[in-house]
Amino acid sequence: MFSRTVLSSCKRASKACLFRRLATEASAAPEVAQVDAALSKKTTRPNLHTGVILNRSPIITRTPTAFEKAYYAYQSRIHRALHNPFPYDFYFKQGSPLEARFDIEERRRERKAFGAPFGMQTGETSEAEKLAEATMRDEEEAMPRVHEADINSDFKNLHRRGQRNLYLLLQKQENGMAVWKFPQGSVDRGELLHHAATRGLEVECGNNMDTWIVSRNPIGVFHPPSPASRGGAEEDVVFFYKAHIMAGQVRPNRTHAQDFAWLTKGEIKTRVDEDYWLGIKDMLSDF
Amino acid sequence: MSVSVLKLNGSPFQLRGLVTRLYSTRKGEVSTSDPQKDNIRRYLYPPNIRNKATPTGTWRPDVARALQRAIPSVQAHETIQRAWLLHQRHIRKKRDAELQRKFNCMRQAMQELEEIDSRLFREANKQEDPRARSLVEVEALKSMSEPEKRAVESRVRGLFPRELRIPTDTPPKNGWPHEWRAFQRPLA
Repeated sequence: MFSRTVLSSCKRASKACLFRRLATEASAAPEVAQVDAALSKKTTRPNLHTGVILNRSPIITRTPTAFEKAYYAYQSRIHRALHNPFPYDFYFKQGSPLEARFDIEERRRERKAFGAPFGMQTGETSEAEKLAEATMRDEEEAMPRVHEADINSDFKNLHRRGQRNLYLLLQKQENGMAVWKFPQGSVDRGELLHHAATRGLEVECGNNMDTWIVSRNPIGVFHPPSPASRGGAEEDVVFFYKAHIMAGQVRPNRTHAQDFAWLTKGEIKTRVDEDYWLGIKDMLSDF
Repeated sequence: MSVSVLKLNGSPFQLRGLVTRLYSTRKGEVSTSDPQKDNIRRYLYPPNIRNKATPTGTWRPDVARALQRAIPSVQAHETIQRAWLLHQRHIRKKRDAELQRKFNCMRQAMQELEEIDSRLFREANKQEDPRARSLVEVEALKSMSEPEKRAVESRVRGLFPRELRIPTDTPPKNGWPHEWRAFQRPLA
């Protein structure tokens, strides 16, 4: 009747507006109660929270698989067989130790690519070559790709698992249970969501980190199960924001979180509650 | 008028009144004071040495032998290429699926935000102008020291920060930068 058209035309109409329209109707009384209940369900705003998915990006490149390695070696062999002769004279001064060093390395690469008859030394070692060999022996080694944090499984260490994306999880107390969750904070009235995210992260994890929230848009939404004590009317909604950490370390606020860990996606699955996992798994990077 | 087309010593041939200098012979080579330029010129315009291959646009001397070592057979090469393309396809599909899942999450979040609060939705959708400065920021900049001002101005809104490190083959010597002075950035 009249009430249905009113509802369809002004979905977010206030109760006062509705009362004014229905005041002229004599038979409006029982419908007003129904409409009232329907409107109150729609217009009560859920409590907004913002969570932050703080990501430590990979530090080192991925290890190529055996197939990839073999393919790259195969392709470089073909390139080596087919490429133009290298203009040595242009890049290296005749008889310099740098040229000698390049010669040594190049012969090594030839031997590795094609086998023994290629890359053999013609003539005897010159002075420059002996010098070059000496410098190559004394050279510094690069840092190892595996850190001791990997061996010790130190989950707080930011050096662990250099190839993977690590995400910050905090251990919080909820209804007497210890649960692992992403840092989360509530949104004040009139506050924008990405501002609330920065504030919430600072409150829970301290400000000893150089973080960067990627954009104003949330990357995902989660509806935590509302506790029975509050009744079904009040809802909680958590909007997640992606952030990167570039320096520093987490110092968790004792009142909010007891423990923290930097975990990969698979490790998060083992620690987090199942419905939480189902809500957040699609936001995280697989590798 | 006699025109000597080719002199016996191989120097550039002379037409009536015109001397064409060719850089293709060593005798005719123009040497400047800069050895680097000479080098470049020698590689760009190689001399016509009959007993050696020219240095540009050619194979290495043992190219046949090297190629035999490199490629086992035509069929093997084609199989390897197909396997590689298939491998790349798998990787691409996985990456696309992951991006699709992430995008769907974002879309769901924005849909729900629109239903909950239109103002927050509008603010979330605003385009970031890198050159803009909010009032809060301008106020905060007035009372900051020089290094702090530089720190604020170097982090441009809407752009990736300079400190985001690109992955390398080996980790940095100094490891993760744990020492970072706590600095409050004005909310923008």
